[in-house]
Amino acid sequence: MRLAESPLLAASAPSSPALWTLEGWRSADPVMGIALLMIVALLASEALSRFARLPRAVGPMLVGALAGPLLLRLLDLSELDRWKPLLDLAVGVLVFELGTRIRPRWLIDNPWLAAKGVAEALLAAVAVTGVLWALGAPPISAALAGAVAMATSPVITIVVQHELRARGQVTERLLLMAALNSMLAALALKVWRVVAVADAPGLDWQPALANAVYVLGGSFLLGTAAGMVLRRLAGAMHSAANTAVLQLALLILAAMLANQFTLSPLLALLIAGMVARQRMGHTLKVEPQLGTAGAALTVLLFLSFGLLSNFDGLAAAWPWALAIVLARLAGKTAAVLALARPSGLGWRQSIGLALALQPASNLAVLLSVSTFGWPTNFPSPDADVLRAVVIATTFMQLTGPWWTQFGLKHVARECPSGPSELRTPRAP
Amino acid sequence: MADSQPPLALQSFTPSKPLTLGVELELQILSTHDFDLAPQAEDLLRETARHTGAWDIKPEITRSMIEIGTSIQTEYGPMLAELQDLQQQIARAARKLNIAVGGGGTHPYQRWSDQEIFPSERFRYISQLYGYLAKQFTVFGQHVHVGCEDGDRALWLLHALSRYVPHFIALSASSPFVQGQDTGFDSARLNSVFAFPLSGRAPFVHTWDEFGAFFDKMTATGVVQSMKDFYWDIRPKPEFGTIELRVCDTPLTVKKAAALACYLQAICRYLREERPFEPAEDDYLVYTFNRFQACRFGLDGEIVDPKTHQRQKIRDDILRTLAKVDAHALDLRGLPACQAIRDALNDGNDATWLRRQRSGGSPLTAVVERAAACWVE
Repeated sequence: MRLAESPLLAASAPSSPALWTLEGWRSADPVMGIALLMIVALLASEALSRFARLPRAVGPMLVGALAGPLLLRLLDLSELDRWKPLLDLAVGVLVFELGTRIRPRWLIDNPWLAAKGVAEALLAAVAVTGVLWALGAPPISAALAGAVAMATSPVITIVVQHELRARGQVTERLLLMAALNSMLAALALKVWRVVAVADAPGLDWQPALANAVYVLGGSFLLGTAAGMVLRRLAGAMHSAANTAVLQLALLILAAMLANQFTLSPLLALLIAGMVARQRMGHTLKVEPQLGTAGAALTVLLFLSFGLLSNFDGLAAAWPWALAIVLARLAGKTAAVLALARPSGLGWRQSIGLALALQPASNLAVLLSVSTFGWPTNFPSPDADVLRAVVIATTFMQLTGPWWTQFGLKHVARECPSGPSELRTPRAP
Repeated sequence: MADSQPPLALQSFTPSKPLTLGVELELQILSTHDFDLAPQAEDLLRETARHTGAWDIKPEITRSMIEIGTSIQTEYGPMLAELQDLQQQIARAARKLNIAVGGGGTHPYQRWSDQEIFPSERFRYISQLYGYLAKQFTVFGQHVHVGCEDGDRALWLLHALSRYVPHFIALSASSPFVQGQDTGFDSARLNSVFAFPLSGRAPFVHTWDEFGAFFDKMTATGVVQSMKDFYWDIRPKPEFGTIELRVCDTPLTVKKAAALACYLQAICRYLREERPFEPAEDDYLVYTFNRFQACRFGLDGEIVDPKTHQRQKIRDDILRTLAKVDAHALDLRGLPACQAIRDALNDGNDATWLRRQRSGGSPLTAVVERAAACWVE
């Protein structure tokens, strides 16, 4: 989709292709195109929910995957660069909501749970790194794959959990562990970058280390500041609608600042949510996805997950991709099961938790870059490994909602049966 | 639902040492995120399975409830110590599971339709039989058992105590809020109990044999299968050799729970030793009115004395009763319990406290959080 002649001009100009052809779509106004795709995505999500009983998050991802580079090529990958701030905001809204939902103090009250959270991330990383190394990948690149494998998609987790109305021990642990392993993954990726730079000949590791400290520390500070500012301002709001708008506006500000200073929006806003909840307690009211504006952003986000799906080189890379998926599954499951009893969880619940921890996110790979094009200014990992990582995470992202649903609903049985009414948050 | 077996006869009354006590408390399981009821009874039971102490813990009808029972106690001091020990152990288990446990007769904003029946045979039977009443029975009460040496004396005590039932309702009342609203009642919990067809009070019989005859008639009709099917305010429990007072709401603190139990113990001793009056059928003429006054107005309710027909505030009746039972409380080493009751008359009951928390404009989530904090103090 190329930029901005007005749709009318584009349609009437003799040189532009007719709007009903694929070529016409590709040259149509991008905003119009995205809006159209969103409508198609919503229809698809309702249809899949009704007939295949899949979570509503799957629809937009599938539509995006079909419309994107995989099939119809309605969108060029680098065009999405312009949308990155909006997508960062969408991620920010959802991880903020996740941050407000968890109680970090639980890690202190139940140290075995903290151990479990760290162990599942580390074991997944070690398993993936080990398997790739055994299959012949260069170790530094295998370590990148390991670092990416640590994270559970916080975005898929919070959205699907809310749709399923899941409640219980497994749900609570899932939310906390998804937040924890996302932060550990962000840390691991930064560390990896330093190590990779140190390993590569002719490059200094000090700037990379400084950058890592800057990004992690800066995101932490930005998040804390955002949380505290929210607390200050929220006291002045007395209507629920204004409160939601305030939160959204503040998140936009924080996400923009994170982008401006090349910090991590995911980290910053996750911490903002946690700080806000800790400071404000009950006075913090967070509507799911921050209301309808957030809900629209969420659909856009899942659509872009689909659009960014990348199965390039599947024919050659599938064995390594499969190895990554299986090693990650094995690593996380082993850690969760091993620490089940000490942390106070039953066996069936633990299996449900391990399954629900499977959704991955390409965000983890893209966290350290500022554009969606591949980075050229730091040592690129081995191309084969990268391809395998991208394929594996794309697969675990597209199937992510199904894993969460299977784990929470069918194995752990923490979802109420019966039709869900549309209801506003209940606690008065 | 009909069995082909012949109905079981009433069990004979197991003799037990008089004036021994046992306390059962139904507690709320709360999420620490929004302080709504959380269906995590199985997790809490698993976590407390290997607890120390002679108390026991078991599930209740819905999965957001848990019931604890003390061992057989005789005095206030050890009773309070046992309750505090179990409170600490359960609180530790709850913290490990990211939940909170608290008192209170009702949960201020739970919705009964969200509650899930605990998966056991007895509870599934009750749910099938009583429909939505089963889920609405997500209310939390304190039951106090008092030991008796035989069935005849147990029944005499049961009927003599009926006059004091409003005391226990008013003192323990802690359920003013239901479904997010102030009901105007100090104890709205009892309205859920009264909805059951077999609620109310025991028939006015004097001997265990007469009671057995009544029981046989009820089982012959098929309406009742065991003593557990009666939801009376005071109910005999022949297996334990006790009578069970079931009208109290779960208080917000263990100290009050122990105080209520020992106040009951002192009254029982006073009734047994001094025999100030003989219970009569006509005493029950004012029973439901007095009970309503206690539920609705708490300590400020007005009750009618069944013998003299005089009206007085429940608060004053308790003061008079305390004066009469002090000597017995002293002998039972339960004077601190009576002191706690006197303090409650001054400060108001837990329903008053809950309303006070709400009156500052606090959201109900904050009220529940503070109530849960009271429990672990």
